Formats: sequence, C-alpha cells, structure tokens
Amino acid sequence: MSARANLADQNNLSEVQMLIYLYCLTNKVPELSRPVIEMKAGSRPLLDGMAGKEVKNLVDRPYFVEHQGLYAVASKVKENEFSEANLKKNLTDFEWIRAKASIHEKVIEGVMKNACVIPFKLGTIFNTEDNLRAMLDGHAQAFKQNFRKLEGKEEWGLKVYCDLEKLKSAIGQEEAKILKMVKEIDSASCGKAYLLKKKKEQLLKDTLTNRINEYGQKSFEILKALSLEARINKLLPKEVTERHDEMILNSAFLVDKDKVTNLIQAVDRLKAKYNDKGINFDFTGPWPPYNFCSLSKEKAQSG
Amino acid sequence: MDDVITKSKDVTLLEVLDRVLDKGVIISGDIVISIADVDLIYLGLKVMLSSVETMEQLRGAPIEGPMQEPS
Repeated sequence: MSARANLADQNNLSEVQMLIYLYCLTNKVPELSRPVIEMKAGSRPLLDGMAGKEVKNLVDRPYFVEHQGLYAVASKVKENEFSEANLKKNLTDFEWIRAKASIHEKVIEGVMKNACVIPFKLGTIFNTEDNLRAMLDGHAQAFKQNFRKLEGKEEWGLKVYCDLEKLKSAIGQEEAKILKMVKEIDSASCGKAYLLKKKKEQLLKDTLTNRINEYGQKSFEILKALSLEARINKLLPKEVTERHDEMILNSAFLVDKDKVTNLIQAVDRLKAKYNDKGINFDFTGPWPPYNFCSLSKEKAQSG
Repeated sequence: MDDVITKSKDVTLLEVLDRVLDKGVIISGDIVISIADVDLIYLGLKVMLSSVETMEQLRGAPIEGPMQEPS
C-alpha cells in the first residue's frame, strides 16, 4: 500500500478499488432519487445501493450508464466484498445473501415504478464502465427486443401448495371406492382388515398424486390462458418455504397490465373451489420480469 | 394494483430469492461466479443444497407429477 493510500481518509473512495454492480436496464432515463421538492436537509435519496452502510455519501448511490438507448442502473461496490474470491466467500453466508438480495430487489422495484426494466441476476459485476458498455453493445439487439416485448406488461407469480393431510381427508370423504373400502374394513376379520387397509392406503396415495397433478395442471393452464407467456419453475421443498404444506406448482406469468385483474379473479375462483381440499394459492406481483427476459427464450411457453 | 401482494415479510423473501438468485438476465460480468452453482440457500436452516437428489432425500418420498420444471 502506498504512503498516499495510508494517509487517505477511509471514506476517500477514489483510492479504493471499486467495482460496478449492475441491477437492471431501462429503455428510458431511470428515476433514481426522490424529487428535490420532497427532500429535507440531511435526508438521503430514495435508493440505497449494494455497498451498504460502510460506503458513505455519493458513491453508493445507484446511477446509470447510457449506451445506444439502453440505460444500465448500477452502483459502485468494494473489492473487499465483491471481488471473485470475496464474493465466493460471502455467498456462503446466508445473512449476507439475504441482505444483498433485498437491496437488489429494492433498487429494481424502485426503478420499475417509472420505467420498464430488464432485471439482472444477483451478482453481475464489472471492473469498468467500458466493460459494462461492451456488454450492452454485445447484446443491444436482444435487450431492445426484450423491451419491445415487456413494455406495458407485468410479471405475476403463482405458487400452489397442498396440505396433504387435508387433501387426503377430502379424498377419503369424496371417493366412493374408498368409502366402500372403509366399510369393508370395518366388517372384516383382523387379517383381512389389515390387507384391506394396505390396499386403501395405496389407493389413497395414488388418488392423492393424481389430484395434486390435476389441481396443479389446472391452475397453471387457467392462468396461462389469460397470459402472454407462462413459465414453470422448480418446486421448492418445505425446508425452503418453511411451510407445513407441500409446493405443487411454481409458476410465473407475463401479463398485460390491464389484464391482471382477470388473473386475480381467476385465482379467487380457484381458491373458492380448492381451499377446502387443502390447496393453497400464493399469487404475487407485480414483479420485475425476472422470468421473461432471458437472452435465450427456450423455456418460456406462449399463452 | 401498484404494490406486490404478499402475506408477510417471509413470503416476500422466499419470492425474492426465488427470482434474484437464478433468474433475470444471466450473463458473465467481469467477476465470474455462478450463484446457481452455489446453490439455493435454505431459509432458517442454512443448509446448502447440491442437487435435486438432495432435495428429494430431505423431503422424503418425492411427489411425482408433470409440474416439475424439465431439467
């Protein structure tokens, strides 16, 4: 470390190597701060960036880099946090990820209030603005194509869960076959009852699987029919969702802004129809279109 | 409907992680790490998943159906 660096104020960030953290793109000048009229003395702009509290003043503010009509929303971050080695280490720290994911999303949602956005995955980092511009240059056409698709649209997500015990109970009451078997078990001898019980359990299990597939499939198809694009994602296990019920559908939909109410109503109807059977619906939005801005499009389905 | 419709803060965090960790535009910047390789982080339990296989083991008997994302 040079003498100059030793003497430098810790907050003199021109001496510190900074990297560029990319949040998203917009197709018009993004609004990144509160209007001046609302700002009181000492107040901070609306969006705080990825570097967090260690980095003071202007450097941590999201700003934008313009290139060919594309606006990249970015902020400066420190090497000691975001270099390849340090990033790898931090990515094993759940609390760090939780904090950074929240900031990433907050910035993008803030920008999304006034502009169409193309969100990037967490952790897209450049050494220089020139490199960022080069990336924009390399994919400019694909980004512009995405903006044409996304303008005036929103992403909404549907996660469907199943309370297995509740559904089993509903099936037990609904399925004639099973009701019949229960009667037979009641009047059967010990050995026969045991065998019948096993048979009943298997039938219950098979019916359960069929019903889950049916409800998941139906829910997806209904919303897909009301959307421009739809996508099915990996199911998340209970250990991740921390719920008592099992995820049976993880899906996302790209929808015209003025058609969103159709989906909300459709979900309400699904709830009315299936809640009693232990099927629970989480319909959330609007989200930045994470699921519909891939540079390669093979996973999306058209509605 | 300007706001994200959520039930609670925990629901939001799950939804955010389900998006920012491996969705959105995925290109190599200058710092090349793959969060997908780092795997999905469990909320609370802080367990690292290494594969779908591990997920199935932790969950018990898998629920099979057409609703899984094709790998």
